[in-house]
Amino acid sequence: MEFRFLHFYPDLMSLYGSYGNIAVLRRYLERLGNTVAVETVSPGEAAEVSEADFLFMGAGTERSARTAMEDFARFGGAVKAAAEDGAAMLFAGTAMELLGERITEADGASYAGIGLAGFSTVHGETRLAEDVYGRTDLFPEAVVGFVNKCGIVTGVETPLLMRVEHGIGNEGRETPEGFHWKNVFASELTGPILVKNPKLLEAAAAAIYARRGESLPEDRAADDWAERGYAVTEEELRRRFARK
Amino acid sequence: MRKFLTIVLCKLGHFAGKLVGKGSSLPGKLALKVCPDILARVRLPGHIIAVTGSNGKTSTVEMIAAILRADGKHVIYNEEGSNQIEGVTTLILTHATLGGAVRADVLLLESDERYARYSFRDFHPTAFVITNLYRDQLTRNGHPEWVYDAILPAIHPETELILNADDPLSSCFARGHEKVRWFGLDRCAFSTDAPTGVYHDGAYCPVCHAPMTYDYVHYNHIGAYRCTKCGHHKPAADCTATAADLEKGTLTIDGTVTVELAFRSIYNVYNILAAYAVCRRLGVSPETCAGVLNSYLLKNGRMQTFRLGQRHGTLLTSKHENSIAYDTNLRYIAASKEDCAVLVIVDAVSRKYFTSETSWLWDIDFDLLNVPHVREVVLSGRYCSDLAERFSYTEVKNWRVQPDIAAAAEELKSGGGELYVVTCFSDRDKLLAHVEKEA
Repeated sequence: MEFRFLHFYPDLMSLYGSYGNIAVLRRYLERLGNTVAVETVSPGEAAEVSEADFLFMGAGTERSARTAMEDFARFGGAVKAAAEDGAAMLFAGTAMELLGERITEADGASYAGIGLAGFSTVHGETRLAEDVYGRTDLFPEAVVGFVNKCGIVTGVETPLLMRVEHGIGNEGRETPEGFHWKNVFASELTGPILVKNPKLLEAAAAAIYARRGESLPEDRAADDWAERGYAVTEEELRRRFARK
Repeated sequence: MRKFLTIVLCKLGHFAGKLVGKGSSLPGKLALKVCPDILARVRLPGHIIAVTGSNGKTSTVEMIAAILRADGKHVIYNEEGSNQIEGVTTLILTHATLGGAVRADVLLLESDERYARYSFRDFHPTAFVITNLYRDQLTRNGHPEWVYDAILPAIHPETELILNADDPLSSCFARGHEKVRWFGLDRCAFSTDAPTGVYHDGAYCPVCHAPMTYDYVHYNHIGAYRCTKCGHHKPAADCTATAADLEKGTLTIDGTVTVELAFRSIYNVYNILAAYAVCRRLGVSPETCAGVLNSYLLKNGRMQTFRLGQRHGTLLTSKHENSIAYDTNLRYIAASKEDCAVLVIVDAVSRKYFTSETSWLWDIDFDLLNVPHVREVVLSGRYCSDLAERFSYTEVKNWRVQPDIAAAAEELKSGGGELYVVTCFSDRDKLLAHVEKEA
């Protein structure tokens, strides 16, 4: 198959190696015999959201996220329609906040998100940064990553991580994390999250296939380094948190 | 009386701490408990110089101290590296008389970026050097703008800022501030036309977020920037490196002063410039500055040479979680032009705190090692698989993995050419235990 990715604001929303998510997903699909074209979208540039198989935006600073949103607002309707239609997308890091209704900054000023979901984010003066170990209902393995944000997200009805066993989730310590609805994935975990979690990479690829009415082929080779890297982090975090 | 007791307590604590080899921040911590405003009650020297920034703090402070001492000034500084308010308090009180007068001409402080506002709550520096601000230890620091916002309250209107003209973000501290001096580097042989690296933090203006253009850059996004909308741009420098040649190891400042570089790195150039700029403001002659800076060997040992079996090696200490520090060392290896092997070790991400965060590996431009003279790259340590995954997305082909650091050292004993070891303070001793260090 031929897939088309849209990568929104790669220079503006580029913290914590965000682009790694796109890189691993692309290679995963290419190794299955597909071709993948990645188009980047900078502020002011045109993009055909309805024709894309996968939309992506990464983490940015609070000021960058506000700048990104000023431009991203014009895609709001198209992104929501695509999500409704089953398009796959990942909003990683602070980009997740832009899917919600509203973002309130530390100084009290606020701006609207695209309103794909009903949650809201309130930024504070404290950085919420630490390793995270949690569970999703997509697969039995734990999800690992690192949260690095200053926002408390409330009103998420369908989180990606149903349980955060250790670390900070949407609403604070050990609360559910991220957002997952149809084929829309969002999480403030960095890692990059698809690099650190091979199972979540598989889930994102499966979502892209699903939109085309297909399932992932049964016969697919694992990425050994990613699997081993995951095993090390999973073990380190489990041991660390067991001591607490 | 309280002041007297606090000073005595701190001095005793420091003395006891030295006997048992403890750190330098505890006595200051105790002193601040007993007398929270003790730093407002002591008489500080007329010159208080602070240095902060993502990279180069320790080296710049060390060079400033050496120059000022050569000029006959009595300088005290936090050599032991405690750069938050507790360590600063220990330093000040241990050098104070019992009456509270600090015995020195110059108080020189390396200051942690995020905690500077606490250190300078009760006094302010007369000169504040900010070396640069970019991605560094993001697990603690969040991101560069977060650090910028943390430093801002530490800046007193009367303080003279000594800023890097070539850094689009830290140069913003000059906005609305009267007393500013700039240091910067003109275009030179190694400058490129556009920013380099796998991410581009200089793509948008830190003031108005419009796209920025560059006349040239010296590394990553550090160079001559200009915002296409608000006009934020590299200002003319008061202290300029008019020529720099990293191959020959020479640096010319203001067209007249030539300095031989002991370490041919762009970092060293900027650290020297910052030290020169601040010392000139304190009235030190160009000759005295150059005399000290000429072939100045840093004591902090971030670069060390060694022998491993038949091989000569160089340790390039890179700070994990700091992609620009890594890029700078990788660029150094790429510029060496002679056959070599490279060992990259990520075993503990930090020596000070626990984390399994490795996203910073994706911010490092490992493709700099895709040059013919890098014959082999070995990836080692607990996080070698994360490194391997990252390398599998580069054009570098001749890499392999040896998880065990001792085994990697053993394997690398044979083979020709220099061995470069790229790793962090947290991991370097795990390699140095297997080598013979050179003096």
